[in-house]
Amino acid sequence: MQNTLYVPGDSCVHRLDPVSKILLTVVGLVLTFVLPGHLLPALLLAAMLVLLGTAGVLRRVWAVFAGVALIAITFFVVQGLVYAGNATPALTLGPLTFYREGLLLGLRLTFRLYNILASTLILILTTRPSDLVESLVRRGLPSRFGYVIIAVLQIIPIMVEAAGRITDAQRSRGMETEGSLWVRMRAFIPLMGPLVTSSLIATEERALALEVRGFASNRKPTFLNDETIPSYAWPVRIAALAVLLLGIAGRVMLS
Amino acid sequence: MASQQKNVWAFRFTTLSLVLIPVAVGINYVGKLFAAALKLPLWLDSIGTVLAGMLAGPWIGAISGAVNNIIFGITADPVSFWYLITSIVIGLLVGYLAMTGWIRTFPRAVVLGLIVALAAAIVSTPINVMLWEGTTGNVWGDALYTVLRDGGTPVWIASFIDELVVDLLDKVITVIISFLIFKALPQRLIGLFAGTDQVEKL
Repeated sequence: MQNTLYVPGDSCVHRLDPVSKILLTVVGLVLTFVLPGHLLPALLLAAMLVLLGTAGVLRRVWAVFAGVALIAITFFVVQGLVYAGNATPALTLGPLTFYREGLLLGLRLTFRLYNILASTLILILTTRPSDLVESLVRRGLPSRFGYVIIAVLQIIPIMVEAAGRITDAQRSRGMETEGSLWVRMRAFIPLMGPLVTSSLIATEERALALEVRGFASNRKPTFLNDETIPSYAWPVRIAALAVLLLGIAGRVMLS
Repeated sequence: MASQQKNVWAFRFTTLSLVLIPVAVGINYVGKLFAAALKLPLWLDSIGTVLAGMLAGPWIGAISGAVNNIIFGITADPVSFWYLITSIVIGLLVGYLAMTGWIRTFPRAVVLGLIVALAAAIVSTPINVMLWEGTTGNVWGDALYTVLRDGGTPVWIASFIDELVVDLLDKVITVIISFLIFKALPQRLIGLFAGTDQVEKL
């Protein structure tokens, strides 16, 4: 499955159980919004990057970070120009004046964006999706919904392949896929229609196959594998909660 | 009509409707792929959610929307988790309005598209303001936001307009395309998902 962000590995972060990693992510997300100023969010980001570095997934992290760089740039441009609290001019480029307050807000928003990404990536980059779903099903997620999530990850490559076949077939019948906007717009329906119809027809067969295997049964399913929770899971969970409390307490004391 | 309305909100999580959810997410994904391949200035990435709502009602539509953003968050862009609510609202709204007759004719489908676009913008605006002080990350929308803010428009209104211009065309065309595909589907398929009496329950 090459279409998820998951990076296989055997680091201590990879071996941590999914629930602990969800906790780390939640703590990271809460702190992103709780920590004031610029220094603390920067420290949070640094801490998250150390964790991601320990997991050996930094290369994928940079790829995701670079993907949203344009959004970060718009923060600086938009807020630097028009933020309501703008007062001190900092930089003039031709007719445009960027203000200090807006640029600082842009910096805060950029930290926010990257902290949100880094916190989420700790869970996503180091957890195989099927492990995550299995862990959630053990804790009460209906197994049918667990199936739905896993099925999506399997169905997308199949549908992308079908999309390629349909494109080839329609092109060989003379459908134009290049030209004016209207020509390209019109090409969308003959591409999408057959894909939707064929995949909807396939759902009926899949539903029958699942029914035959007891999908709708109300018996409690057992699991093929035992869940392994590493010995350091509890210390990590307690440390994460301690940091969270510290962050919230600090915020309350300061304001 | 009253009994029919109750029916719309009934939970019908049959195996068939659950299997529809992954397909809907797949359609969303491929729609986006086709739009990019044809270099269309639109995303068209919620056709599956809209179709799921039209076929199987608001709940399945809403779950399709939610799963779509969760999966997209896992596979490509973690920021999309935050727009989960927008997708859920699109699925719910299309499902409800489709079941109450808003996809009977083409003009009605266009109105449905406008309603969906408006609702999507209303739901996304608080998320944009909360997370990013109002910008959307779309260059054209944000340029408009900058001009509006410069002219003294309040953050919330500027952000709403920013989101609406980005959403309006995309969502209206998404609903129209879904409507055209829906109308071209074999009647048997539609009956299958709607769970009408002529089909034996699995």
